[in-house]
Amino acid sequence: MSRPHDLGGQDGFGKVDVNAPPFSHGWEARQWALSRNVPIRAGTIDWWRHGVENMQPEVYASVPYFEKWCLNDLAQGIDAGIFSMEELLQGVTVVAPPRPAKSIQELYDGIRRSAVDYQRPMATPAAFSIGDMVLTKTEMPVGHTRLPGYAMGKSGTVIAYHGGHLYPDAGALGREEPDHLYTVEFTSEALWGDARGDTVCIDLWEQYFEAP
Amino acid sequence: MPSTYDRDNIARIHKELHSHLPPDPALRVKALESLAIEKGLVAQETLDNWVELYANKVGPMRGAQVIARAWTDPDFHARLLADAGQAVAELEFDGHASAHLKAVENTGEIHNMVVCTLCSCYPFSVLGMSPAWYRSAAYRARSVKEPRAVLAEFGVALPETVKVRVWDSTAELRYLVIPQRPAGTDGWSVEALANIVTRDSMIGTMRDLPLLGAT
Repeated sequence: MSRPHDLGGQDGFGKVDVNAPPFSHGWEARQWALSRNVPIRAGTIDWWRHGVENMQPEVYASVPYFEKWCLNDLAQGIDAGIFSMEELLQGVTVVAPPRPAKSIQELYDGIRRSAVDYQRPMATPAAFSIGDMVLTKTEMPVGHTRLPGYAMGKSGTVIAYHGGHLYPDAGALGREEPDHLYTVEFTSEALWGDARGDTVCIDLWEQYFEAP
Repeated sequence: MPSTYDRDNIARIHKELHSHLPPDPALRVKALESLAIEKGLVAQETLDNWVELYANKVGPMRGAQVIARAWTDPDFHARLLADAGQAVAELEFDGHASAHLKAVENTGEIHNMVVCTLCSCYPFSVLGMSPAWYRSAAYRARSVKEPRAVLAEFGVALPETVKVRVWDSTAELRYLVIPQRPAGTDGWSVEALANIVTRDSMIGTMRDLPLLGAT
């Protein structure tokens, strides 16, 4: 299947525009405000990410970043029945009572309350310990996953264990299932055949590894 | 109503949206805003206030205060390395995308650099909105494969003796780089130190913090 978002290691994008500001256009800041304040994201965080991943690949590659957010917020709202395609394209027939505005202070205080804990207790012990070598799987699963393509079928060393965290592949299907989460350090030699001694550390769930 | 969690359904909606909406992104965002206001989902003033809040009160200055505190308070430094999410909560900087924050420290031998190759995960409540380059395809694609070439574009020349550790934010963990405290800043106040800490140094695309312009 196409994975237009799985960019790690791909070539052909040219140099990094190191001086680009956070927002180049007013509509980008507006979209950021909409995404954080309109209760459209009715599903899990990984269902939202999977929505972006299910844009047509040529659209994903060509539209600006915050336009992807806009299109996906619209798609998610329609998918969850919060509004309809007709209301979007033809206008709302019954205007709802206005929502009360939030002050800057209320929004500021709300940021603190917006932290989400993804850690969950595990019923089974972790199969790997810090210092162990792990080998990642090679089969590309159908649907959402957070194992990047460039790290598939690669060996790395466990450098941290974080307990049980919600498993994103299940989260994208609406299921709350924790799995053991580790940070694995891969050498640039294992990933790219580059012996310079640099490394890439990736947060990976136990289901992404071959059995010990 | 709940989400369908049906990827074929979301793909179909995306296709329809892209072909029916006007091509200008500003008009697409305007369409979402008008719809959200008419459906009573948000007030326009809330959106205005949010933009102002992130422009003025929530930004990299928060991260800079965390770093300056860590440089001057060994106990806080230890707490930051042990559990950065808890440590930033002491300063009331916890929140959106910072619950599972990890601090990684630069040394004479290690340079840390943060990316999210699969989307653009970022510790918003500590660093504010991410710079556009952080979300760009070029940075996401290249920083894991040729970090030194990317760093060179940012003006960072690393000797071979310094190894690069790139952190790809694939889970709900978020990473904050602790840059090295520059020489010649002994006795500086936390405020003066915070003034020299840059956003890019906390992402890892800057290494040596200049003292120019500092007080």
